Amino acid sequence: MALLTRAEVEDFLYHEAALLDDWKTMEWSALFTEDCEYLVPPTDLPDADKNAALFIINDDHHRLVQRAKRLTRRTAHVEFPHSKMRHTIHNVRILEQDEHGVTVASNQVVYRAKRQNLDTFVCHTVHKLVRTADGLRIKSKRVMLDIDGLRPHGMISGIL
Amino acid sequence: MNTPRETGLGGTHFIRIDPDRCEFLVPRWAFTDPAVLDKERAEIFGRCWLYAGHASEIPRAGDFVARKVGGRQLFLWRADDGAVKVYFNTCTHRGAMVCREKQGNAKRLTCPYHGWTFDSHGGMVEQPGASGFPDGFFDNGAKNLVSPAQVDVYRDFIFVNFDPTAGDLTSYLAGATEYLDLVADQGEHGMEVTPGEQVYSMRANWKLLYENSADGYHAITAHASYFDYLRATVGVFREDFNPHDVGGGGRSLGNGHAVIEYQAPWGRPVAQWVPQWGDSGKQEVARVKAELVARLGEQRADRVANWNRNILIFPNLIINDIMGLTVRSFQPVTPGYLEVNAVSLAPRGEHPEMRAWRQYNFNEFLGPAGFATPDDVEMLELCQQAYQNMPEVGWNDISKDMNRPDNNQGDDELQMRSFWIRWDELMGAAR
Repeated sequence: MALLTRAEVEDFLYHEAALLDDWKTMEWSALFTEDCEYLVPPTDLPDADKNAALFIINDDHHRLVQRAKRLTRRTAHVEFPHSKMRHTIHNVRILEQDEHGVTVASNQVVYRAKRQNLDTFVCHTVHKLVRTADGLRIKSKRVMLDIDGLRPHGMISGIL
Repeated sequence: MNTPRETGLGGTHFIRIDPDRCEFLVPRWAFTDPAVLDKERAEIFGRCWLYAGHASEIPRAGDFVARKVGGRQLFLWRADDGAVKVYFNTCTHRGAMVCREKQGNAKRLTCPYHGWTFDSHGGMVEQPGASGFPDGFFDNGAKNLVSPAQVDVYRDFIFVNFDPTAGDLTSYLAGATEYLDLVADQGEHGMEVTPGEQVYSMRANWKLLYENSADGYHAITAHASYFDYLRATVGVFREDFNPHDVGGGGRSLGNGHAVIEYQAPWGRPVAQWVPQWGDSGKQEVARVKAELVARLGEQRADRVANWNRNILIFPNLIINDIMGLTVRSFQPVTPGYLEVNAVSLAPRGEHPEMRAWRQYNFNEFLGPAGFATPDDVEMLELCQQAYQNMPEVGWNDISKDMNRPDNNQGDDELQMRSFWIRWDELMGAAR
């Protein structure tokens, strides 16, 4: 099986980002495997273990789907109406690859604008992607924030 | 500052109370006026006991952790004799911050500016160019690190007070000690702050967060999507659960402290099992519960295990003992902006499986990306922005349940009124 090229991996990441920028959160959740995780570790401990430390986001598949679903509802008040979000992706590097999948690191800058506030999330993101019959799927997405705290953001209401 | 209002209706400087109408009003300029914040810094943050940290954060001699408390930059340092020390994080020479790491361990800290060096008792033990100072210049601790006027610890919760004339911590905590005990008693071997701190903020006045943190009334509206999440989570939600009927109620604990205590369907690592945690979780929760019963007796063990508590320690400490156990303190920066620091507290020596569920559980509701807190942030920010509608719309209403004082419920507003009455006293109403 031919190895994935960086361009193919980038296309996948761009597709994911486009779904998020367009608030197609249910389609985004369908990019994940059943045994997936979506993690945002605390800003002071980017390498922390989710079973021991307090994370900012610690989603398994169930919670990730519920997170995606919540963001389609008017009762997700913080995102009704939706803010404007924009993901930009840089410095994409393939860290490991075998016949099952690929681990890819990227620098991501995510912007969120609402009510005249603009918040910037500086992210070092590591995806573990696996090959499936349906194409590439995300087994793990870990977003490490290069900021000292969510200030003045206050929260991560959408998806990084 | 706006002129204090004498209402003649049982109200005081800021608040208005009309017992006949069962009405309690708070002026919205209390959330927006910079002069109010200046006065709060002096009369509240300058005079009340403020939470600074937990003893478990500095377990070994030399451990330190830097903190912003009441607008000051402090650091907590475990001295070589085991004592908990708290210092202003500023060199006595020209002021640079001496402690530059968020946490670490050191026998001595050296100011990076001119090299003045301090030991864990605050002593200034070494400085370059000593010949430039006369004999005795540094005697009697003249240039030692400075500590807050008072530092005290209640069951590992470390508090500071910048007012040397303030009364002692235990008296200040008043009825809140009963609830701090219910938290501290959860661990057979004591409690510990787990790794990882949630550091966030809100574009809102600090008092809005105090109100929100023990507001049962908003849950069913503001957190409708959280209850949807619970419903969708197999084995967590009980269909008979009614957020308006959770037993218990709110209590004023004196000195502005308050609590709401109630029952809820979510899992509690100490110790209310939910099917999501599986059979092994069930066994461990049963073991934890049995240990509680043996140590505390059946009745107290039930209260610890099966009741939830949102504890408000005036003016800026929240301990929510709910699906997770969070210790959250917050500081005003401007009238419309506050900073929050939150950690997860857990029994020392907790089984790793329950610890993992605890941290997973915490995130379902709490924190800056939970299924509820972002909506709280949004509500507070909507309030703060809408307070621009002054003077035409100038008052907040906190009256709910005043018509039935003997039947307080978990979604009533008594606990907020007790905050405001204490706040009003400290801000000058009683003087």
